[in-house]
This record gives sequence, C-alpha cells and structure tokens, in this order.
Amino acid sequence: MIDDKRMKEDRFERRPSEVSLTEASLLEVKNLKTYFPISSGLFSKVKGYVKAVDDVSFSIQRGTTMGLVGESGCGKTTIGKTILRLTEITSGSVTFDGIDIHALDRRALRALRPRIQIIFQDPYSSLSPRMPVGEIIGEAVREKRLVAPEKFDDYITGIMKDCGLQEYHKDRYPHEFSGGQRQRICIARALALNPEFIVCDEPVSALDVSIQAQIINLLKALQAKYGLTYLFISHDLSVVEHISDTVGVMYLGNLVEYADKASIFDNPLHPYTMALFSAIPVPDPDVKTNRIILEGSIPSPANPPEGCKFHTRCSYCMEICKLEVPQMQTIGAGHQVACHLYKDGRRIG
Amino acid sequence: MMDREESIQIKDRPHKNLHEDKPPEEHVSRSSALSDEQRLKVLSPGMLVIKRFLRNRLAIIGLIIIAFMFVFSFIGGLVSPYDESQVFKYIGTMSKEYASVTYNEEYRYVMADGRDYNAAAHAKFILARNTGKTTFTHQDTEYVIVEEGDAFYRIVSSQPIADITSFRGIVAINALDGEALTESLRASATEAILSGATQFTSEGVLYTVTQNGREYVLGRTGDAAIESKNILEPAVAGTTIGYSFAYEAEKAVRAENVSSFTVDGQTFEIEEEENLSVIYAVTDGGKTPYAIFSRMAIQPISQDVFLSLAFKKQLIESVAAGEAGFVQADQAGAEIEYSLSRLNNVYTVKSDTLTHLISIHEQPSWTHWLGTDKHGMDVMTRLMYGGRISLTIGFIVVLLESAIGVILGGLAGYFGKWVDMLIMRIVDVFNCIPFLPLLIILGSIMDTLEIDPQLRIYYLMFILGIMSWPGIARMVRGQILSLREQEFMIAAEATGLSVGRRIFKHLVPNVVPQLIVFATMGLGSVILYESTLSFLGLGVKFPLASWGNIISGVTTAYEMTNFWFVWIPAGMLILLTVLGFNFVGDGLRDAFDPKMKR
Repeated sequence: MIDDKRMKEDRFERRPSEVSLTEASLLEVKNLKTYFPISSGLFSKVKGYVKAVDDVSFSIQRGTTMGLVGESGCGKTTIGKTILRLTEITSGSVTFDGIDIHALDRRALRALRPRIQIIFQDPYSSLSPRMPVGEIIGEAVREKRLVAPEKFDDYITGIMKDCGLQEYHKDRYPHEFSGGQRQRICIARALALNPEFIVCDEPVSALDVSIQAQIINLLKALQAKYGLTYLFISHDLSVVEHISDTVGVMYLGNLVEYADKASIFDNPLHPYTMALFSAIPVPDPDVKTNRIILEGSIPSPANPPEGCKFHTRCSYCMEICKLEVPQMQTIGAGHQVACHLYKDGRRIG
Repeated sequence: MMDREESIQIKDRPHKNLHEDKPPEEHVSRSSALSDEQRLKVLSPGMLVIKRFLRNRLAIIGLIIIAFMFVFSFIGGLVSPYDESQVFKYIGTMSKEYASVTYNEEYRYVMADGRDYNAAAHAKFILARNTGKTTFTHQDTEYVIVEEGDAFYRIVSSQPIADITSFRGIVAINALDGEALTESLRASATEAILSGATQFTSEGVLYTVTQNGREYVLGRTGDAAIESKNILEPAVAGTTIGYSFAYEAEKAVRAENVSSFTVDGQTFEIEEEENLSVIYAVTDGGKTPYAIFSRMAIQPISQDVFLSLAFKKQLIESVAAGEAGFVQADQAGAEIEYSLSRLNNVYTVKSDTLTHLISIHEQPSWTHWLGTDKHGMDVMTRLMYGGRISLTIGFIVVLLESAIGVILGGLAGYFGKWVDMLIMRIVDVFNCIPFLPLLIILGSIMDTLEIDPQLRIYYLMFILGIMSWPGIARMVRGQILSLREQEFMIAAEATGLSVGRRIFKHLVPNVVPQLIVFATMGLGSVILYESTLSFLGLGVKFPLASWGNIISGVTTAYEMTNFWFVWIPAGMLILLTVLGFNFVGDGLRDAFDPKMKR
C-alpha cells in the first residue's frame, strides 16, 4: 500500500521548521478554556457559560500520537475543534509549530489550515452528498494550488491508493460507499493537503470492529509513512491503547491525568482513570474484572461542582476535594495527575 | 445482478454441455470477474434524480400537461388565425328604434319674425299663465298675453310711442321722436286715460297705457309669438313654417267651417282628419301638402331622417287605433314593418334594419372551436393568449420570489446572529400583511390611476413577487442553518476553502433540490392567485386575456348555464396547469428525497 517511490516524487518539500525542530513539541496547548455562553430571554442576555474545556494544558511531540479519552460530553471534541480554530477560544493559547493559532488573522489562518486537518466521527455527514469523491479530496488541493495542475490527477490517485481507495472511485458519489470506505475518503481528504497534524475526532466509533481495525492500521501506516502527528480522540480505550504514544484523560472539561501509554495503562493514578480503565472488557470469560462502578452521572458543565469536579462521584473524596481545585502535578517520570490524593510525588490518601 | 445471473448460468453449463470444446477456465474467469469495476454504471445524484423522476407516473403526467400548456399558449397563439382581442361581426337585421310619438301636453311657441322671444320668455309665459296674469316682463320688454282660443295664446309686446301727462282731466300727449300720432289714436288714448283702462284698440292695433305716477306711457303693441299645444310641422322636407302662416293656420283649423286661409297671397286648404289636419298649398295646378297640424309630437330617433306625411298619417292612425304595428312603404317602395310599443305616454316605433352585428356567444363551430364570448372574441384564441400571460406571470413571479428569497434566506442562514434576526423579523412582518385586502386596495388604486393594462401586468408580477418571497426565504434559511452545522461544512472550513467556494460549491447545491420543489409547487399557486385576482377584477384587465378574467367575464347564471364553452375550458386549463405543476413538484420532491430507493 505504501509506495516509497511515489512518496519521493509527489510529496512536496517538507517545510524547514519540521526538520529543525524534531525535538520540540509540535503542538502546545496552554491553559485552554473554551466556554459557550448560555443566553436566554428577549435580549439574549448571557446567563452563564458551559465550560466545555476548562483550563487544559498538554503538548504533543512531532510524530507521536496523543490519545484523548473521557466520557461523552467531557469536552474532547471541543478541544479538537478549538485546536483547529473551528471554535473560538475563551482564554489560553494553542501553539502549533511556534505559531499561536488563535492570534492569526483570517488570511494567515487560511494559509495555515492545510497543515492541521481533522477527521470526523461520522463519515456519513462529513462528506458533501453532491460532490464526486475525487472532487471532495482534491478540491482544496486545487484551490490552494498545492500541486501543479498536470500532476493533479496522479497526485489524487496516489493519495486515494494510499488510503485504500481505487482510482475509479473518483467519479462516484459518497452515497455509493460503505462507512469504512467513506472514512477512508475523509482520511484521503485530510491527507491530500499534506498536513503535519491531524485531529482524529473519534474516527472509528461509527464503524464496526473489523473496519475499525482497518482504519486504525491505515492511520498508523500513514503516520509511519508521512511522519504525521495525531491527536486521537476516542472513548474506546482499547483503540487508544493500540494507537497512542501518550494518553490524556478528561473529565468535565479538565485534563485529570496525562502520561505516556505504558505508565497510564499500567499504573493509573487518578480515581477516574482507574474507574475508566476497569471498564475495559477482557476477552476471556474466566477472568473476573474488578470493575469500579461510578455512582451518579456526569454533572452539568454549565454548573460544575466546586473544588475537584470529580468529587461528587469519587470514592476517595476528602474534605479538601470539595474546596480546592487540584493542580496538575508530576508523579514519577512525566506522569501528570490532578488529584489531591497525591502530594509531593507520592500518594497521601 | 446481471453478472451474477450470468455466472450461475455459466456454472451450470459445463454439466449440460460437456461436449462443447470451450475450456471451463473461461467460465471460471468470467464468473470471478464480478469486481467493483464492472458494476452497473454509477449515476451521479442528478442523474439519479432524473431517473427516479421519470419513473414516477404522476410526475410524467404532470410534465405532459405542462408541456401541453406551453405548446398551447406560446405556439397556439402564433398558429391561431385570430388576434387576442379581435371582435367578430356579421351583417344581420336588428330591431332598432325609429321614431317616437307623444301626445303633446306642453305649450310650444312660434316666434314672430324679427323678435327675440326665446325659451326664457316662454318659461315666463308659462309662469304668468299659471298664475292668471295677463302680462309679463322679459328683458325690459313687456309682453301681453292675448287668449285666442283654448290653449292658444298670442303674445304681444308693447313699445313706448308717447308720454302722456294727465292733470285734473287735462291730458297732454307728447309723441316720442319719430312717432306720428293720428287724431283718432289721441282721442282713444285720452279716453282710455280718463277711464283708467290699461289697454285699448285703435284702428285694429292694440295699445297699452302704463301708469308711472302722474305720467303715463303709451305703448303700441306688436305680435311677438304664439303659444299653442298643437304642433305644426312641415309635410315635405325643406319647408319652413313662418309666424304668420302658423298663426293663420292655427286660427283657421280652430275655427269651424273654415277650410281655407290666405297668407301673403298664398291660399292654403285644410283637410281635417280625426287626429290631425293636413294643410295643402293651393297652386294653379292643384294642391300640394304643405304642413301637418296635430296634437301628436312625432320625432325620428335619428336626426337626419325626415318622416313622410304618409308615415305620420299611418302612425297617428295606428296609435289612435291602439295597434301593435303597421307596414309602411319607404321612399324606395319597399315595405317595412314597424312595431309600436308604449311606455307611459310615449310610443316607440321600431323597425328592423340591417346592421353590422357582433357575434356574441356564438356556439362552437369549425371557425370558432370554442365559440365566441360576450365581446364577440374567439374563446380558443383568448385561452391561448391568456395562457401566455398566466404562465409568464407564474414563472416571473416565482423567479422573482426565489431570487429575493434565496438571497435574503441565504444571508440570514449563513451569517446568523443579528442579520438572521433582522431578516426573519422582516419575514414575520410580511407574513402579517393580509394579502388579499392589500391586493384589492392596490387593484383599486391602479383602477383609479387608470394604469395601462400591459403595465398593470408588470405591477401585478412585482407585487406578487414582493409579497410571496418570505416562504422561500424561510425555507432556504432553514436549509442553510442545518447544512451549515453539517460536518462536511466544518471539514470544508478546516481545509481552508474560501467562503465563496463554501457557499456556492457546498451549500447551494444542497439547497437547490428543495428550492426547485418549492418553486415548482409555487408556480401552481401563483397561477391560481393570478386567476383569483383577475377574477376579482384586480389582475389582468380586459381586453388583455388571462384565464382568470375569461372566467370572470361570465357574470350571470344565464351566461353560466347557456354558454358553458366560455368558462369551462378556462377553468379546466387552470385546474390542469395547477395540477400539472403540483404533480411535477411532488415528483421532484420524491425524486430528490435520498431515502427513496433508486
């Protein structure tokens, strides 16, 4: 599937920054806050805010994949969209390759767009139903003149082959494809712009398991080939475990734990992470899993609890949890957690 | 599907036809050729829509109806030998009013030569006579009424000829300049003054005495006019009747046992009949009719017709006998039937005359396939021209409302926020305006301003378009609002496409299907609206045709029941066209619906 010869010929020159900054993190998110105003009444008076993302910081190294997990509605997708500036930021910053995305003007933003792409959860609604597939994939490439017009067809064909699509699919319309094929089209559309960073917003959750594996493997292969960096948003922990290098766990707009894959899966520190990971099914009927059942449901992000947002459902809840917001602290080698159970690098509770 | 069936057949074949020398490998390879590339030719969404549409039988019927309407209206008008407002006529007999007869109850006057006795003086005479006075004044001239017979008066006016002063029985008469008074006149005047008389006769001339304090004015009278209820008319064309003739004739007719009289040396003879007298002028060779004298006023309806003596005689006879009609030969000798009808005191004489007549409500025939209407115009041709107007109005109005609706709805949907708020409130306001009353008012304003019918059509299109865009704007806004949040729009934004490309390549193609359906359905309703307005007399005005005003031409139950060919075809055309557009609209909606199987 991966054709090195074509890669050398057709891919355009890598930007110098990519070469020089191999060690630096490609994406840096600092104190990101995205609030949505709740307005009501005759004059749309703002009554409050839905704190979809509330003070989140992390960074992603070039060529790695960060998995972002959490319950529905915890703000994963909002982070993805805010990174692409599809949603405006409330405060904080998103720095991509040294560029503050939210400080850019319209023109500069449009110029930057091809470098960061997104793959959506629903492959059915993310393709325009009245456009042939070749046009969907190549539209932005043509508009931005990323390749010479005479090479255009070959370029698109190459991208489609990379994504496991055939050349004759070009003239077909999205409704003629299966879910997995459509997701391949979405990946091809993102890939055609030669991005460095792709936000994968639950790209496999709408697909059945066998197709999920194909897509995940495709993403991994493409990452290996093009040196892509992924932010992989999912609520499926096994998928995240498979693809990620680092994993962030979100709860109600906050990042509660962030570490590399091995340490977080082997040694989850935050009570929420523990509960979450205990829910991973084990494909062996004889193994008894010690599942932690969380009481209650996720509180409303419009009116989150005081102190630690998780304290209403936490079995380790202490007095301090109800009063003080826990700060991110590093335990061991780069294992970050935001919980009052830990202090000065060790567990106290 | 085809491939699969074929493969099954091919698989079966080797068992049956093993003797055939075709290698089985070929069959195997053909059956395994069922690859993605060899699937049925894949259709674009547009082609799929057309395919689905053509499969819908009702939609095809609608399409055929609409095509027929277009051919009928736009080509039919060119093929038809007649014009839109060509009026058809034929020559036929028609009973026309010819003359009227009244028994005269009013005084009529004949003025003496050189006098100015006019209608105003006549009115004053009537007033004086009714109040029993014997004198009246008009324009500083005093007139004296002299009764000559029953309903026959002579009006005389007096002119001052002398001033008279009377003092204790002594009368001094001073003649005015240029007047010479005879001795007998002076004596008569003195006598009259002393006796206090106001009138006296001397040597056959009537004199008047008017007192003014101690002074008197002596006036000599002269004939001014005669007033009579009898009518004296010339018997032959070209004769004029003079005052002295009229006076003498009236006196002679009234007097018993007088059968002739003389005026200015000409002798006239009177032939009295029951209701009229004929006066003949006696010449050396015999006598010729000169005038007719009667109480009957006979007047022709047309001023240039002169009624002959024989006609008048016959007419008066028939009126007196109470007959319903009579036959009278005209000047050329042809016998013409006249009918008599009476209304109050007026008898109307009608005769059948040949004239150009308009072929009103002619039954359908080969020359007029659907007959003619009440204006004598060909119904078929008017239907064709009416269809042009109805369809043109439909299309232009829909284009106009779609243009406004798409632009405003698109703006509202794409930009949202206050733009959306503003435009949607405008839409609300438009939806609050009562459509029909407004159009009725505008229609009557256009009537008052007497706007040209052609121009009126453009105004109508404009008004209908302006009034009906909110529906489309609302629909487009809703569509765009929902499309804007679709992930493919977010993806398009993420790929950094320009706003224009996002709108025109991603949004608009997805709104067009609904728009086409909406507009097609709208066409039918606009045509219906135009018909309604024309029917109410607010839309297209006669003589221009539209289906609505063809129907509204039929206003009475009589026309409706007897002349079906005028209104039923127009009604059918409206019904079929609206039905056709609705069928096509429904068909398009089903065809555009992606949930429909292909």
